[in-house]
Amino acid sequence: MQVSAIHFKRSVTEKLNDAKLQNALSRLQTRFVGGRAAVIDEIADFEASRTAAAAIRDCVLKNLDQWLLRFEQQATARGATVHWAESGADVNRIVAEIAARHGVRKAAKSKSMVTEECGLNEALEAQGVEVVETDLGEYILQLAHEAPSHIVAPVVHKNKEDIADLFADKHHLPRKTDIAELCREAREILRPAFLSADMGISGANFLVAETGSALIVTNEGNGRLVTTLPRVHVAITGIEKVVPTLEDVTTLLRLLPRSATGQSITNYVSVLTGAKGADDHDGPEHFHIILVDNGRSSLLGGEMQSMLRCIRCGACMNHCPVYQNIGGHAYGWVYPGPMGSILTPTFVGLENAPDLPNASTLCGACGVVCPVKIPLPDLLRQLREKQMARGLKSWQEKIALKLWSWMARHPAVYALSTKITVRVLKYAGGREGLLHRLPGASGWTDGRDLPAPVGKTFRELYRQGKRS
Amino acid sequence: MRVGFFVTCLVDAMRPSIGFAAIRLLEAAGCEVVVPEDQTCCGQPAYNSGDRGTAKTLALKVLGEFETCDYVVAPSGSCAGMIRMHYPDLWRDDPAILDRITLLSQRTYELTDFLVNVAGLETIPGHFHGTLTYHDSCSGLRELGVQNQPRALLAKMPGVALKEMVEATTCCGFGGAFAVKFGELSTRMADNKCSHIEAAGTDAIVAGDLGCLLNIEGRLRRRGNHTIQVLHIAEVLAGNVEDT
Amino acid sequence: MSARERILARIGKSLSGSTPAEIDAYLAAHPRGPAPTQLDNLVAHFKERAMQLSSDIIEIADRTTIPAHLARYLAERSLPPRGVCWPAFASLPWGAANLEIAARPANSQDLVGITGAFCAIAETGTLMTLSGPETPPSNSLLPETHIAIMETRRIIGSMEDAWDLLRDEYTVPPRAVNFISGPSRTADIEQTVTLGAHGPYRVLVFLVSG
Repeated sequence: MQVSAIHFKRSVTEKLNDAKLQNALSRLQTRFVGGRAAVIDEIADFEASRTAAAAIRDCVLKNLDQWLLRFEQQATARGATVHWAESGADVNRIVAEIAARHGVRKAAKSKSMVTEECGLNEALEAQGVEVVETDLGEYILQLAHEAPSHIVAPVVHKNKEDIADLFADKHHLPRKTDIAELCREAREILRPAFLSADMGISGANFLVAETGSALIVTNEGNGRLVTTLPRVHVAITGIEKVVPTLEDVTTLLRLLPRSATGQSITNYVSVLTGAKGADDHDGPEHFHIILVDNGRSSLLGGEMQSMLRCIRCGACMNHCPVYQNIGGHAYGWVYPGPMGSILTPTFVGLENAPDLPNASTLCGACGVVCPVKIPLPDLLRQLREKQMARGLKSWQEKIALKLWSWMARHPAVYALSTKITVRVLKYAGGREGLLHRLPGASGWTDGRDLPAPVGKTFRELYRQGKRS
Repeated sequence: MRVGFFVTCLVDAMRPSIGFAAIRLLEAAGCEVVVPEDQTCCGQPAYNSGDRGTAKTLALKVLGEFETCDYVVAPSGSCAGMIRMHYPDLWRDDPAILDRITLLSQRTYELTDFLVNVAGLETIPGHFHGTLTYHDSCSGLRELGVQNQPRALLAKMPGVALKEMVEATTCCGFGGAFAVKFGELSTRMADNKCSHIEAAGTDAIVAGDLGCLLNIEGRLRRRGNHTIQVLHIAEVLAGNVEDT
Repeated sequence: MSARERILARIGKSLSGSTPAEIDAYLAAHPRGPAPTQLDNLVAHFKERAMQLSSDIIEIADRTTIPAHLARYLAERSLPPRGVCWPAFASLPWGAANLEIAARPANSQDLVGITGAFCAIAETGTLMTLSGPETPPSNSLLPETHIAIMETRRIIGSMEDAWDLLRDEYTVPPRAVNFISGPSRTADIEQTVTLGAHGPYRVLVFLVSG
């Protein structure tokens, strides 16, 4: 996907003033935030589960190469073909080759955020392969030529009227007004695609090393359809998605749907091992699994390794007050919210997404809900440190920081400067005791007043022996 | 108990009455309060901006100023959180300093947390009469677990009727430099908070961090609300709502 | 060097690494994580969960009554009295209830698909089905109505228990293990849950206690 994170600030203005989007985003509160809170209570000891889940992820990351090799060995023994892709372009090339080898003209796809990183659909279309997205949200985006705005609920930014208009326009059928009718229409339009596709493309939420299996969670059934009907199935996922055992994946599955959508379990969990056997009626004849690096290995062994624990639940963005106000498109790439603010600069370069690590108050709401205890606020701060170290801060900010630093280290100067400043501000606040404008701080005063200080500092009053 | 009072740069400059209120409370709880003269800033603005070097230097400065106190108390979850949760990480590569800074961090508390869990303040000097709603500042809440403590103290005041607002724990949008760098977004977050505050319909809005309070008050006044009082928890508890 | 070698080299360089023996030990032990809440009555809990997720449940003691129940269920919903089933259920008296049930995998025309299940998970109200020549997954996937015939003695507590059962009875997992928790659904449009997305619209579970 094209990176447009450099336009973050401009997008923020646009999104804050988009009334339809603001209305749509308010639904996240009830559904996802409220929903999650309700089902978390079902877990006997939620914190213990988080700790266990984080430990499972760390155990794998510590020995990622060994676990990947074991996965590859098991998957291959079961009849799958395992590929390794260093970059998005590699993924596209591998899938195109598989398609060519098997005479694929049409592919049915269930949701995969990794393939958004790669721009797989466009690459395949350029090779003459028709790609049909089958996850309802992704299908809608495909019709509208838009990118997803959330990793779990891709069209959270659209309302049903938008979708009704879109379907009426693209399907050439009478406009539906009811959500159930719209879903039925999508089902009927897409069912033939499942049946006629030569290749199914999916992601994989987890890869189980013990059995060489790919695990996919869906609610719609499209994940099952694209991995059962077509004669070729390609599963594409990041190298960090490997999990040791079936028990481990179960521990993670207890947290994933609850954290994501407030469900105790997704409607379908499919554990896929190898291709169809000689006596099977159903299933792909060829099962390909692509392990994707695309920047992930750069996080290993470093201070930010914990980001690789991520299981793509979306809880962080659901609870982020910044995301709640601007939605996902403003973040300018595949991954929005707190996890996106860390992954985008990491994968596409800090210089291409300079605002993302800074567009946060570090309130910590994300860190509290992350099922695998990624210290998201700390990672955002570390990216800010990297920006500082690489000189990527604006000259104004650099000067302000240097000045503050110097003053804070020199108490006498500090005391004098603050005494002067508070008198000036008090005067500027007038009788109202409010400043309406503050040069250099229009970011504050454009929308807020600044309550004026009383005109004397605590330190000077204390020193004078005042008690109040 | 010898308590070193960490006044915080915002209280020092913008509302000294909070500092005096806090000292009154600490003394009412039986503490001997000292105010190291040369204190300036805990280093959080630098730390959150990615300037680890400045943060380290200021941490060392704070260590030198407060090391001899039994406790360090700040009327701010932000600053107390900085010292308690982040100072050890800043000096993790220097074992000698790390030991001393770890001891300091373990003795550092946000005001209400200290009053409830260490000093055990039972009788509250203040005499606020009216309804109020409480905003949970992020650092205090999520770094230090400050949530029940202010409410427990307010509950001991017969004149206070606490009414919880919707989304009391959602960030007000201050975030230090964020408020200026992402002003529009910050203002929107503040505006959402103000709507929830007004919906609670109370006489006052109270919090434990002056950064939040300045942000909230700034937005309340700009959107035309000049009646609701915006108070620091220390001011409510100490009975001192007059500035000098 | 292939991409595989380069990726592994990059990973290996960043980590202190471990030996395959440690991996073997961990896999052999396959420890469980934190246990879910112990359940008193597995059948009751399964029923409650399954119904919360919009499955229909009919409890019976005698499997030969299934066709009559199913005929009534389909008639109540104005659904045609035709479908497909797994071979294991071919011998049930379908004809006596005027149902045309063919023992074969489902195709795109079939509207009713009848399957069994390997076991059921009480914790979440979930059916676990295994693919195989006699147990084609298409029967629970393609038709609009999915009928599952489950023995109550195969209702277990948790997914961990299900894996133990699988390991007891299979040396390697089948091509597809599908966990099914009710009718297909989507909430992509305005976060409003709608039943019946690409999979079945309805799921009826026969709980057989005999």
